[in-house]
Amino acid sequence: MKTNLGARISNESFLSLFMLGVLVVLFGVACLFVPNFYRPQNMVNILTNNWFIVILGIGVTFLLITGNFDMSVGGNIAMTGVLSVWFCQAAGVSQNALANGLGLPYTAALVLALMCAMGIGAINAFFIARLKVPSIIITLGTMMLARGVAQIVTRGAQRNTSLPDAFGVLGNTAIPGTSVKVAVLVMIVLVVAAFVFEKLTVAGRRTYLIGANPEAARLSGIKVARHITLLYLASGLLAGITGILLASEFKAGVSGRAAGYEFDALVIALLGGVSIAGGFGSVLGMFVGAVILSVVTTAATGLLLSPDWQFTLKGLVTFIAILAQRFALDRRKA
Amino acid sequence: MNGEAWRAGIKKYYIYVVLALIVILFSVVKLGQVQMFGRGHFLSPDSLINLLRTAVPILTLSGAFTLLMISGYIDLSVGSAMSLAAVVFALMVLNGFSFLPALLATLLLGVGMGWLNGLLVMKLRITPVIATLVTLNLFKGIALLIVPHGLSAIKGSAEKLMPAWINDYARKAVLLGLPWAFYAAILVIAILAVVQRKTILGKYAAAIGGNRTAAELSGINAVRMGWLLYILVGFFAALAGLARASYMSLGDPLSGDGMELDNIIAVLLGGTAFSGGEGSVLKTIIGALIIMCVTTGLMTVIPAFWQVMAKGSVLLLAVVLNHLLVRARARA
Amino acid sequence: MKLTENVLEIRNLLKDFPSVRAVNDVSFDIKRNSVHCLVGENGAGKSTLIKILTGAYSKSGGRILLNGEEYNPHNPRDAKQKGISTLFQELNVVDQLTVAENLTLGMEDTTLGFLRKTDKINKMVSVMNSLEPSIKPRQLVSALSVAKKQIVEIAKAVATESDIIIMDEPTAAISEGEIARLFQIVRGLRAKNVTVIYISHRLDEIFELGDYVTVMRDGKHIDTRPVSAIQDRSELIRMMIGKTVFEAYTPKPERSRELVLRCRNLTNHKLGGISFEVRAGEIAGFYGLVGAGKTELARAIYGVDEYQGEILFKGRKLAPSPDKVIAAGIALVPEERRSQGLFTILTIRGNVPVMNMAKVSRHGFINSAQERKVTQEYIEKLRIATSSTEKEVIKLSGGNQQKVVFSKCLFADADLLMLDEPTRGIDVGAKSEIYGIIRRLSEEGKAILIFSSELPEIMNICDSIYLLYDGNLKASLQNGPDIDSEKIIHIVTGGEGK
Repeated sequence: MKTNLGARISNESFLSLFMLGVLVVLFGVACLFVPNFYRPQNMVNILTNNWFIVILGIGVTFLLITGNFDMSVGGNIAMTGVLSVWFCQAAGVSQNALANGLGLPYTAALVLALMCAMGIGAINAFFIARLKVPSIIITLGTMMLARGVAQIVTRGAQRNTSLPDAFGVLGNTAIPGTSVKVAVLVMIVLVVAAFVFEKLTVAGRRTYLIGANPEAARLSGIKVARHITLLYLASGLLAGITGILLASEFKAGVSGRAAGYEFDALVIALLGGVSIAGGFGSVLGMFVGAVILSVVTTAATGLLLSPDWQFTLKGLVTFIAILAQRFALDRRKA
Repeated sequence: MNGEAWRAGIKKYYIYVVLALIVILFSVVKLGQVQMFGRGHFLSPDSLINLLRTAVPILTLSGAFTLLMISGYIDLSVGSAMSLAAVVFALMVLNGFSFLPALLATLLLGVGMGWLNGLLVMKLRITPVIATLVTLNLFKGIALLIVPHGLSAIKGSAEKLMPAWINDYARKAVLLGLPWAFYAAILVIAILAVVQRKTILGKYAAAIGGNRTAAELSGINAVRMGWLLYILVGFFAALAGLARASYMSLGDPLSGDGMELDNIIAVLLGGTAFSGGEGSVLKTIIGALIIMCVTTGLMTVIPAFWQVMAKGSVLLLAVVLNHLLVRARARA
Repeated sequence: MKLTENVLEIRNLLKDFPSVRAVNDVSFDIKRNSVHCLVGENGAGKSTLIKILTGAYSKSGGRILLNGEEYNPHNPRDAKQKGISTLFQELNVVDQLTVAENLTLGMEDTTLGFLRKTDKINKMVSVMNSLEPSIKPRQLVSALSVAKKQIVEIAKAVATESDIIIMDEPTAAISEGEIARLFQIVRGLRAKNVTVIYISHRLDEIFELGDYVTVMRDGKHIDTRPVSAIQDRSELIRMMIGKTVFEAYTPKPERSRELVLRCRNLTNHKLGGISFEVRAGEIAGFYGLVGAGKTELARAIYGVDEYQGEILFKGRKLAPSPDKVIAAGIALVPEERRSQGLFTILTIRGNVPVMNMAKVSRHGFINSAQERKVTQEYIEKLRIATSSTEKEVIKLSGGNQQKVVFSKCLFADADLLMLDEPTRGIDVGAKSEIYGIIRRLSEEGKAILIFSSELPEIMNICDSIYLLYDGNLKASLQNGPDIDSEKIIHIVTGGEGK
């Protein structure tokens, strides 16, 4: 087992290790050059302040493993956030239309909002799994559909008045004795659950089988369309959870929320070594990717780069990551 | 006439019918209360001119985009490429460049952006969607970086005025109330329609999209052709961005956002197959006009915040139509 | 240039793959302007040889001379430029272009990129007209039949002055009338200074069309002769399969056995009303040429393709969907093991339990110890040559890969196994092992359907034999000492059954 380790481990583990190495190097460099980078509080921030992208990344990663995109998650967050606000805003209290909601109980509002989020997933699934339309086109369409709903409900702005007191609790409570928010806990729970799903369950295995060879999967009795449908529903649900948490944190449903998050989720999945050709990738790799992105952006902020840099930085980092992976895999093959 | 002939007929002409129906619909509806349509009628010269002026960028770009999709590839970075070109053009004009050098430099930038996409997709074989999503963010990021912190766009200020002639290209009427940019777009469409039908580029695009193995066996260098098409798309994205900047007299780093979707919708409405191989530049242009009619037309009757929803719905509708017409035929 | 008598000379050609020497010291000549047939069983090495000629593979040793000059193509395009065109089974025409556009594809006359109408188009069109006047140059290729698409490709090869056109099973997917037309055209090619290398399993075609025939077996060159010097097809068959091929089939003791599968009047785009019955412990073989409908029949039973008619499995109607068919107790070893049977980037352990995950899981959670255990069991039972259960399937040899597919299907606990070309591309040793496995399974009481285009395989192990031709069941026979292979071949090549 000791000899020839490089050839022994799978491409998947190889890429994960490779990206982990990249992370360690980046981290070391950042510690050297960025003031106060090594402080424990900064570490905690790096691991947790991307929680919303990580939650989205779970769904996006599993879909990418099957060879499908989900670009609708950002729009879906905005829609769910806005709807959760609208559903539980008090009804008929004001002249201002944006201050009036449906007056539903808080829990009912959340459940309904999550169902709408899964509705977007269902539309994606219908077109992609049934009509076999390329996922990129459809999910870009539902991205607009979801954001469109958010804009219509908020008239292109936001809703933030006449909310029940309970609304802000979820997003603004810290775990007693720490500064860790509930949302971060949700992220941890979901990542662990996703890890268990990926490694230990039959459904997780199916995801990889479909990605590795959809035709063989079908002939082996796997219901490919149904599985992809479930993954899109799950991805919609995850976006919905994120949307509700964000809306609660800001006590507002904002129609422009989460613009570009779909790209960030894709970026961290790619950084974590998920192959777009399908068949491999992992949730832990995705998490490593999220930390890499976090290290890079935090370091950039620490070096006093203006926030305007973030698009370029993300673009460059992904660019380099993709090239490095291609190079590493090609070298390995040779 | 049998079913197959019917379907072929529908496929061939439906897009013209759709355009005509939309025009008629919006003409019948009273649009009096809206400022944009001066005399309150969709078919009034003022409103038509307005429609065509705002349609200039998509008219400029969607022909090349069609050729790329015919060859089976896609470029999601066109919107960002447009924005970056708009910003760079505005910056140069603001800093004393005259029109021609600024134009040439912007187009060169477009060629460079297209070249980069071609490099990633054709040479390094990165999935088109991923590669162009990355460059989408890269171009957008650079455009945002160029705009000074605290400003939303490159524009004239008290100290430094934006020369008034920046409007000359895409706003000032030269003929029939329409600006140079419109006629340039018409010229581009005409050229690309000819390119599609009469040149090897058009033929090879269809060959590569239809059966890449066959094309390569026949000695076609698919990598080079695809690369060329990406460069072409980058070039026209830059021209479209320049028109946008000239129209708005400023360089907005977000002005191209969503352009990739408008193009995809136009191409799908025009009946181009997702998988490549067939399609028509002219029909895409009709598709582009349909989108412009729907979005600007809708803006006259309902509030602006419905627009995103409208576009999303049109996209899904276009997919369904495309599915029914293109796919159903393929299966038959 | 002085034309050599032999257009192609092959000398001591070798091709090695990691586990097998696929072409072993092959030497023969191909005479100019002849129709040279290449025959051999599946796995005899002829497709490897062809792939070397077309530039898809590079040779491991030996020489090839084309027109007396060293010939060493880098890829199919290179081969084409050097004068060898190939009519692949996957046709290389662009459906979305017109006939004329396809003919000139890649060699257009242009001015500044603009297509010009020059004599070249006329020349190519006239070549095509001389082959087949009914194809119109302005027609879209998508509207043409497979046979006519082939003719377009042949016309292109002729017009570009190819020395050699290789035709790989060109008659597999086209109708009787079209075959006759194709033959006329192929015969006419001699006059156009073109040599044809013709590969077909339909032996009649060789006698009808060929000038010379080269027989290959187990990677070796057996003989090259003028077709006229071969007495009849049985002599050719003997050359192809050697002496020891027909292992004696041993009839099973007759028992009354329960009926497992009954198909009534299966009809779809390819099948013309097929009915048969299979009992427990029976091995039923479906034999026919490429394109006879074997795979389509398997796919219909498996619920992949649509059909009319009725399939009763253990007395119950089968729902047309693979997952339900598998749940009912049927498993399929598909025709293409890499693209349909295996998850090649996953490990053996990732592949074996796939069709019956319930057996290695509880409440949806995988028991990986159990998984490893059963995988190890199958590795031992089917003697899969691997160092561990964690080896990626892509790294195994063809025979071992096929055993993984078998393991996968066996693990599904099926009562009926359908095997589509179960030994395609597998070396001889692995082949007989697989036959052993099949026999053992039938002794355990499983019903087995074999769909094969290799007659020895069918005659070797099947109890009953069904002969398919053009989607129809032409005859059914009981295997036994008096079975007549001549008659079988007669029927599956389109002759009438008794």
